[in-house]
Amino acid sequence: MSGAVMVKAEGVHKRFGALEVLKGVSLNVQRGEVVCLLGASGSGKSTFLRCINHLEKIDSGRLWVDGELVGYRQVGDRLHELREHEVCRHRAEVGMVFQRFNLFGHMTALQNIIEAPIQVRRVPKAQAVTRARELLARVGLADRGDAYPNQLSGGQQQRIAIARALAMGPKLMLFDEPTSALDPELVGEVLDVMKSLARDGMTMVVVTHEMGFAREVADRVVMMHQGRIIESAPPEEFFGAPQHERTQQFLSKIL
Amino acid sequence: MVYSFTTNPRFEWSVVGEYFFSTRVLRGLLLTLELTVISMAIGVALGVLLAVMRLSHNPLVSGASWFYIWLFRGTPVLVQILFWFNITALYPEIGIGSWSFNANNLITPFIAAILALGLNEGAYMAEIVRAGILSVDEGQSEAGAALGMSRLQVMRRVVLPQAMRVIVPPTGNEAISMLKTTSLVSVIAVTDLLYSVQLIYAANYRTIPLLLVASIWYLMVTTLLSIGQFYIERHFGRSANRQTPATPLQQLRTWAARWRAAA
Repeated sequence: MSGAVMVKAEGVHKRFGALEVLKGVSLNVQRGEVVCLLGASGSGKSTFLRCINHLEKIDSGRLWVDGELVGYRQVGDRLHELREHEVCRHRAEVGMVFQRFNLFGHMTALQNIIEAPIQVRRVPKAQAVTRARELLARVGLADRGDAYPNQLSGGQQQRIAIARALAMGPKLMLFDEPTSALDPELVGEVLDVMKSLARDGMTMVVVTHEMGFAREVADRVVMMHQGRIIESAPPEEFFGAPQHERTQQFLSKIL
Repeated sequence: MVYSFTTNPRFEWSVVGEYFFSTRVLRGLLLTLELTVISMAIGVALGVLLAVMRLSHNPLVSGASWFYIWLFRGTPVLVQILFWFNITALYPEIGIGSWSFNANNLITPFIAAILALGLNEGAYMAEIVRAGILSVDEGQSEAGAALGMSRLQVMRRVVLPQAMRVIVPPTGNEAISMLKTTSLVSVIAVTDLLYSVQLIYAANYRTIPLLLVASIWYLMVTTLLSIGQFYIERHFGRSANRQTPATPLQQLRTWAARWRAAA
């Protein structure tokens, strides 16, 4: 079942102990759409993003990616948790880029990229390497394949991390504050790669503080506050005429 | 002290020289090395297994590992050696399915020694491996999981290789400690290095020089192990250090070059 909707969330709740982080989040992301999630820290935007590939289990509500329930199987009214290999299969289809890159420190850039295709998808090594070289060229690092992560700048590491996620041929990419850990002068190179991905029609959900990127690239900007979505609008509308009081406050502080 | 070492005739250095390469001593040394290598191999394999079990989300699995470590760390290894040596009193027959063995034939003193040393070492290695696994940033496992790797794949391909940097140095110490701990098996008449020299001095009463023979051999093997440890650490530190530390040979060359330049 593959319709026009890539991500569909209905009343997603998540709590960490006594702290309720998500209090009923509902959101649809269309195929090919770029959605930017904004909000103060602690608003639940990163947690929601991590729920989409089941890095966090949701406590109630429903979450679908490409028509399939995330992490659970519905039998009648009951939800059954999926087995590990089924969860892995889901995750392999969804790329994720982290704030702190999380490149495998003991592997070169190229090894980082070919690891999952070989281990998870059983792609022959030669084929995986060819594909990895293409991806390295795509993120502008064709000559750094043999470098270890600690020999690369933050911006280069994040571009390798994007290439690593793309190597699995994901149908959806999740970005968790991909430029927040970078020196200001390195932000641009990462955003450029993300822009080119968006232009190629990749479906993307991006948690970010880069207002310029949201304004330029997003099809829709979503504002989260205290575990809820309080505003969702195309960028011109969102930045031009924010409806919610909290959004106005947030934007006045940041812009 | 050096003066006393070399001049006190009761050290009987000539006797030391006489027995240093004797067949019985060399055979004992070989057995000590075998015990060390096999017991360490069992200990490391068991340690990895127990550490992964200990970190499992299943309380039964982690509980079993906790119990094992509690039991084997809580009793002296000498007692464990004696226990395995006398296991036949407990289980005269050991059987798997329709296979059955007379325990006296199966558990020779050598097997008893390896079981005791290896199973005991596993408990210590488990804690070392666990510390290593916990030292790896959680983001690494998350990145692996996000790529669709299973928990086992993440452990084997991502976490353990990076945990090695923390695991290797204490494991080297364990290997050195194991080499010396093997001397305990002399109590169950396994002819390791120590028991071999004991047998010799029991006959000729040259106790001190023969203990010196054993000590010097232990020292030499320990030194070799330390050198091996340096190179293994260097190998696993590769990705963490921008510059790998120079080997002693490289350092020597650098010094020589500097000295020549100065001269």
